[in-house]
Amino acid sequence: MRAIVIEDDIDIQQQIVERLKAEGFAVDSADNGDEGLYLVQEYPADVAIIDLGLPKMSGLEVINQIRDQGNKIPILILTARGRWQDKVEGLDAGADDYLVKPFHHEEMMARIRVLIRRASGWSDSRIVCSPVSLDTATQRTYVDEREVDLTAFEYKVLEYLMLHAGEVISKTVLTEHLYDDESDNDSNVIEVFIRRLRQKLDPDESLKPIETLRGRGYRFTLQRAEQN
Amino acid sequence: MVVLVAFMVLTAIALERAVVKRALQAEEDVLQLLIYSLLGAVDQDRQGLSITVSGDRLFEPSLVTRNSGLYALLYDQQKREIWHSESITIGFPRIGVTELGEWDFQIVEHLATPYFRLNFALQWPDTNNKLQRYDVVVWRNAVGYFEQLSRFRQTLWAWLIITTFLLLVVMYLVTRWSLRPLQKIGLEVKAIEDQQQSGFEQDYPDEIAPLTANLNILLKREQYQRDRYRNAMDDLAHSLKTPLAVLTGLSDQREISLPQIETLREQTDRMNQIVSYQLQKATGVADIRISKPVDLVKIIDKLVSALEKVYQEKAIRVERKLPAQMLLRIDEGDCLEVVGNLLDNAFKYGKKRIAIESPESEDKSMTLVIEDDGEGLTAAEIEQILNRGTRLDQATEGQGIGLAVVADIVESYNIELDFNTAEPVGLRASLKFPKI
Repeated sequence: MRAIVIEDDIDIQQQIVERLKAEGFAVDSADNGDEGLYLVQEYPADVAIIDLGLPKMSGLEVINQIRDQGNKIPILILTARGRWQDKVEGLDAGADDYLVKPFHHEEMMARIRVLIRRASGWSDSRIVCSPVSLDTATQRTYVDEREVDLTAFEYKVLEYLMLHAGEVISKTVLTEHLYDDESDNDSNVIEVFIRRLRQKLDPDESLKPIETLRGRGYRFTLQRAEQN
Repeated sequence: MVVLVAFMVLTAIALERAVVKRALQAEEDVLQLLIYSLLGAVDQDRQGLSITVSGDRLFEPSLVTRNSGLYALLYDQQKREIWHSESITIGFPRIGVTELGEWDFQIVEHLATPYFRLNFALQWPDTNNKLQRYDVVVWRNAVGYFEQLSRFRQTLWAWLIITTFLLLVVMYLVTRWSLRPLQKIGLEVKAIEDQQQSGFEQDYPDEIAPLTANLNILLKREQYQRDRYRNAMDDLAHSLKTPLAVLTGLSDQREISLPQIETLREQTDRMNQIVSYQLQKATGVADIRISKPVDLVKIIDKLVSALEKVYQEKAIRVERKLPAQMLLRIDEGDCLEVVGNLLDNAFKYGKKRIAIESPESEDKSMTLVIEDDGEGLTAAEIEQILNRGTRLDQATEGQGIGLAVVADIVESYNIELDFNTAEPVGLRASLKFPKI
């Protein structure tokens, strides 16, 4: 998952970035509205965390511009003002959720996960494509209720593929959303992780959960469970 | 004042001019009439070439009374005097040249006496039927006229000065009388500044009473706000002391254990809540009478669409039974805060549906009811929320500051807030707004 953090307080920005990285996110950050808007426009990300009180261009203005351009990226706003007036303004402008400062990072991560899942059409914290299921809150993976031990990166790849189950995901998109820095990644690494995932999820090759479409990318083939 | 004086002077000048003009015209008319009657009395001499005026045919007795002040003379073509009235005792200068058929009316000074003089030139056929020019001149003593005029002027200006003076006095008194309340306001402001009194008295005339009443509201509000800030600061300082003491204690430890990190976290959370609560409490809450009306329905619309976004995955059904418009005199921020917190709770604790209604009440006051289908609150919890004056740092853990802030705002606007158990389950929050 790739996140963009736009926050002018360097200490808070640093804390958020570190927490997101620890959770396996690729993160870009900006300390002003102008640069932040540029990041959102230029880099495809899965979520944007935007502080409302930004220099150069206010957070509200950034959100307005993002939405004006038709970008549907989930946006979590951070605000020091807890009044409903401010919350409503932000949500009205196009944000999807808000957090009042100060906040606990667990709370922030929970909100971010909900926003990302929601953007892919999942409403539950469990992503289920039977028999494979992911618990996004605990980052655990199950096949037929049997827990599968995945590394952090393997989990990231699987989560991304399952969130977009049925869609063709190119290697470029995968690297963009999973790697922090595009320069030092090698698409062969992705192939390695895909192979390992297949072995772990489907040791006897009966499920074939991940399909390779030559020259186009990968597709998670198992059907999404019905949403309630 | 200046305008009044200028107006009076200009009026007097215009009046005087009109009167003088009218009087002169009247004099001229009289003399003209005289000349006509003279001409009617003219007789042609039997020897021709000259005419005489027979006295008995003149109806104006002044012309035959000596020194009467009215004199008439007749001149021929060679400017020779051929006749004069019997009233004449002194000589009169020959007249100047006047065009035939023209009247020449003038005020002339002769032997230190002012005269009106009217001269008329005409042609008259002699016995040979040849036209001869004649000049008829009448003189009339104008001393009486000027005396009268000066008397008129004196009277006019005297009355004018008296009237102006009286008017000025009356104006001054009226102004003083009508501005007296303002002077009183000035004195009261001074007294309020010196903290000798806290507001304006109520005995002002109807025109000014709204002003002083509003100023009183403003003063009260300002006082209220000041108290509020002071209390908030006071509460803030006091309530921060406990968590600070805990943290100070922790900072003395050489190493921090996991349970201690938990304590650290609890205390910072608590401090955060305290600060947020006091901040909310210190700001906002305008006076109902000063705020412009806001539409509660629009506010609910805004909040519901925001909250539906936040609680999207709960897919809560919002049932609304509201009129098209609900106008309230309340600060928009405060209104958003109260309704926002109540709706947020409803979304948070509700399971499938929320009802927002405005039932009709007997006394025509406006009511808003927000109902959810969640767990609801116990009587004790409701009691605790509604227990005014419960300081947040004494309130239960995990309750959040939302309802404490709501209770606070609601109290300052005299809005009745009540919680009941909804049927069959859930919480029913009702707000009863005071009549505007």
